[in-house]
Amino acid sequence: MFSYIARRIGTALLILFGSSFIVYNLEALSGDPIAELRTSAARNRDFLIAYYTRQLELDVPPPLRYFHWLQGIAGIFTGHPNFGKARDGLSVYGEIAAAIPVTVRLVLGATILAILLGITVGVITAIRQYSRLDYSMTFISFLMFSLPIFWVAVLLKQYMAIEFNNFLASGQIGIEWLLISSAVVGVIVAGLVSGDRRRVITVFSGSFIAAALMLLIVNWTNWILNPGMGVLGVGVVVGGIGVGISTIVVGFENKRVLWATLTVVAATIAAYFPVNYWWSSSDMNALNLLWPVLALVAVAVAAAFAFTRVDRGPAIRVTVITSVFAGLFLIIDRLFQTWSIYLNTDGINMRPIPTFGEANVRLSSDNFWILFEDGLLHVVLPTIALTLISFAGYVRYSRASLLEVMNMDYIRTARAKGLSERTVIVRHALRNAMIPLTTLMAFDFAGILGGAIITESVFGWHGMGTLFRNAISSQDLNLLMGVFAITSFLAVMANLVADLMYSALDPRIRVR
Amino acid sequence: MKAKRTLRAVAVIAAGLLSTSTAVSVATSASAAARSTVIVNETSAMTSLNSGTPDTNLVTNSDIGYLTGAGFWYYDNKPNLIRNTTFGTYKITKNVANDFEVSYTVNKGLVWSDGTPITGVDLLLSHILGSSDYSKKAGLGDPNDGAAFNSGGYGSPYDSHIKGVSLSDDKYTVTLKYDSFQPDWAIFGPGPAPVHALELMVDGKTKLQSAAVNLAAKAQFLTDFNAGLNGSVKRLKTMGDIWSNDYNIQTIDSKTNPLLLVSNGGFIVQSAVANQSVTLVRNPKYNSGPKLYSANPINKVIFSFVTDGSPAAQALGNGEIDVYDGQPDTATFQQLKGLSGVTVSTDTTMTYEHIDLRVGNSAQSTDPNEPAYDGPFKGNGQKARDLRKAFLLAVPRQAIVNKFVAQAYDPANQADATVMNSHFLLPGQAGYSTVTAANGSFTYRNGTQAQRTAQALALVKKWYPSASAGSKTVPIKMLFKNNSRRIGENLLIGNEAAKAGFDVSNVGNAAWSKKLDDPSYDVAMFAWAPSAVSQTGSNANYQSDGSNNHYGWNDADVDAATHALEGLLSPAQVTAKYLAADKQVIGNAWSLPLYQWPQVSAYSSDLKGIKPGPLVPNLLWNYWEWHF
Repeated sequence: MFSYIARRIGTALLILFGSSFIVYNLEALSGDPIAELRTSAARNRDFLIAYYTRQLELDVPPPLRYFHWLQGIAGIFTGHPNFGKARDGLSVYGEIAAAIPVTVRLVLGATILAILLGITVGVITAIRQYSRLDYSMTFISFLMFSLPIFWVAVLLKQYMAIEFNNFLASGQIGIEWLLISSAVVGVIVAGLVSGDRRRVITVFSGSFIAAALMLLIVNWTNWILNPGMGVLGVGVVVGGIGVGISTIVVGFENKRVLWATLTVVAATIAAYFPVNYWWSSSDMNALNLLWPVLALVAVAVAAAFAFTRVDRGPAIRVTVITSVFAGLFLIIDRLFQTWSIYLNTDGINMRPIPTFGEANVRLSSDNFWILFEDGLLHVVLPTIALTLISFAGYVRYSRASLLEVMNMDYIRTARAKGLSERTVIVRHALRNAMIPLTTLMAFDFAGILGGAIITESVFGWHGMGTLFRNAISSQDLNLLMGVFAITSFLAVMANLVADLMYSALDPRIRVR
Repeated sequence: MKAKRTLRAVAVIAAGLLSTSTAVSVATSASAAARSTVIVNETSAMTSLNSGTPDTNLVTNSDIGYLTGAGFWYYDNKPNLIRNTTFGTYKITKNVANDFEVSYTVNKGLVWSDGTPITGVDLLLSHILGSSDYSKKAGLGDPNDGAAFNSGGYGSPYDSHIKGVSLSDDKYTVTLKYDSFQPDWAIFGPGPAPVHALELMVDGKTKLQSAAVNLAAKAQFLTDFNAGLNGSVKRLKTMGDIWSNDYNIQTIDSKTNPLLLVSNGGFIVQSAVANQSVTLVRNPKYNSGPKLYSANPINKVIFSFVTDGSPAAQALGNGEIDVYDGQPDTATFQQLKGLSGVTVSTDTTMTYEHIDLRVGNSAQSTDPNEPAYDGPFKGNGQKARDLRKAFLLAVPRQAIVNKFVAQAYDPANQADATVMNSHFLLPGQAGYSTVTAANGSFTYRNGTQAQRTAQALALVKKWYPSASAGSKTVPIKMLFKNNSRRIGENLLIGNEAAKAGFDVSNVGNAAWSKKLDDPSYDVAMFAWAPSAVSQTGSNANYQSDGSNNHYGWNDADVDAATHALEGLLSPAQVTAKYLAADKQVIGNAWSLPLYQWPQVSAYSSDLKGIKPGPLVPNLLWNYWEWHF
């Protein structure tokens, strides 16, 4: 095992050396870093050309210059790496250190969301293979997969930011939108059920009417300008989620787990007012968001222990997942309450959804919730864009993988034993179906730090992708190689981690 | 069954919603607060408060510097050099051979944003930043190997001609002594710098100081400056380090040293978020330049860093930025046009596209093994002259200009755009019509393009009787960048020149700028980007030893006329010299100008007083006139 890892790291270093040498030289030969200067009419052009020649070592041939750069990087072994200076005079190390958190904020949420959504949809479509739902999800995921992100971004900005902000002037849903969105809800719900035509029509009309009613209530209570769930809303939603998770994981008939879950829901309701009061304090910070969630998780573990005697693992899983959702909805409810205050803040002026940037430049508030809401709203559109285009891959992979597993002999054996379909899928099929996806995930997480070049530039985020783009367009070798060193290192490492994880998850595979 | 369950769930949720909606008070609509904040788009982030070093000399940095600083002059949107008489006056005090003196006087009563008076002492730093001699003498290092002050101002004519600097007794007038007349002396003039703040930072201060301490610091600078003249260095070296590095900050908040923000412009930097925005507020003590508009004033200017093009247009549509300028693509331009409440205007920049023909090897070339140029345009014999003229005649200038100016943003536009016809003046500048009427450019705009191409073919036939349309008799290697603009131009030229028997190469070169001296190319096409208005600005392009003369151009009349431009001339004399030089450049068929690059400005229609200008800081030049 250790010799395997050592061997892999050795090859990784060789690969990194070779690839960085090639990239360095290709980039150095591909253009002229002082092209602009050569056509400028600056009176001291010669001085400036001499300055840059000295600064960028343009008089040294690129293959030799590469080793100067490598010498700086090699400092990593002595703890003093030198990534050099970017052309704007800032240190490459500092620029990358500033860009990484930005990129993580932008891409991490989208990646997790894409994995969760993609796998969920993939599993559902695999179970309902060749159903209307399967076909429509396949169509949608391929559609998203083939859309160029800059175009998706433009559409999102136009309809979910500019038009939505215009709509907020009244906050009342027009009759045409009411009918259209109700119809969309109806189609989706009807797509989920199977059965004869009569049943489908009943479900469609039922959910159409329900959605329309709901939107009417939204209009009537002016909910869009003044949203909130209240203690009752949080309770109902969390209760629904808890019962749902418990049904999927252990089955509705397992009453002990159900009681434990409902205990968590009760705890959430009991905590609602104290937590909201505590969160209203002026020294509120991001860490304070975490404590109620952790407390609920503790309650969840305790409840699972109290209500179950045997097979505690699944029970704890159900209650803990429920409690995390409970914490999430406490936060969401709080953000709903902040919404109307945020809307009326100077600088927002009823146009809350931004089209670019990481924060509103006009906002001069130091209230935690206002800033939190602002940060979230800025991340919403890029996250949607990134999720839309990357979740298709997960849908297809997980669907294919699950279908393959479902045809295996041991699944037939499990069914023959008389296990319920739920147990067969959740306990026997799903776990094995997920193994191949670890490779995909490992690479996606490594890719996070590479940044999303187009997304970042379209949404005005200054992360790794922007650094990369700037480095190429201004022939900034140090900056480019700094970004390249980080991303290529992560890619190589992800490869190794994926292989190790594979062997850990699948007992048939051993690393040697 | 299922539907029933759904209905039940909906009913419960609705009940929950109702119970909350009664608990939360109904939101009041936003009050339409009077607008006083302008958000200006910049395509790149601020990297420094000091745009004076070669590394930080970027548009965003200098734009911020423009709003936070004021000196003896600025460019308007013509672009003309305007004297800022609120700040001070400048004049020639002596002009004899080998002794040329100019004096700059700061008006009394002007103050920095911390209240310290502005005097002539504040102008002296400019000398340190521009004179290699001073830097070497004071032990600050030779700028050619890296000096303590990492200034981008060395190596200019100021550097090579300045002889001395002196301060008047009242300390309000600085006199510069040059070894000869400097035609662009006005813009070589010194700019003010908050030297007391620099001195205080040398002392390690991190807070604003009292008036007395500030004055003492200013006196200290004068002492240090004079000590530098005598070769004493210590404090200045530290100051150079501070000037070169400490201003390079991207985040500005309450922890930032306020001494870094001392300035004398209409606005002062208040805060900055790295790579996101910079916020400027009115400078309450501002009295160094034109008065800020007082009714419905701008109290805050925020520079926001969006990328160019479509994202900026949508941000404008969403009210996230108020002002945009740039060179968007056609789709983005249409998008801008479609926005309501936004004013869109198209203008030109000073950057202009042109086409140059090689005559011989570059005077700048340093490679001793370089082969001699042996292409069709070689030398000044009749054959080369005829072929050069033929080629230029076959360049479809009007078609190119229509495509890249008139139709740049509106492909359906049928109107003819302005073809540039002078190498020395831009359309609209004083004297342009005088020069273009007589400089020989008429040959290249007389008749239709078909007629001119026919003339070209006739000239080619004179030397190659077998030549005909499409005969590819004369191969031409053309140097251009492989971007869409140049590829399009190359295609238009290639197609038209083919009708005159030329065979123009159509492969662009990403590293084109390194190849300007390469004698294997017969033709080069690119753009000059002037950064200032100057009567000698084009000399380096056409003088036989000019640093921008890459094609072995050599003509005694051109040299005489351009050298004459280096003297003190009346505007009419300047125009006459331009004409004399231009006539030869066009007569020798060396080069033809094509067009000025277009640019687009778009801004909220609520904002008044914006007049886009062709030079950096573009539309910011009259920020004091902006108002709602």
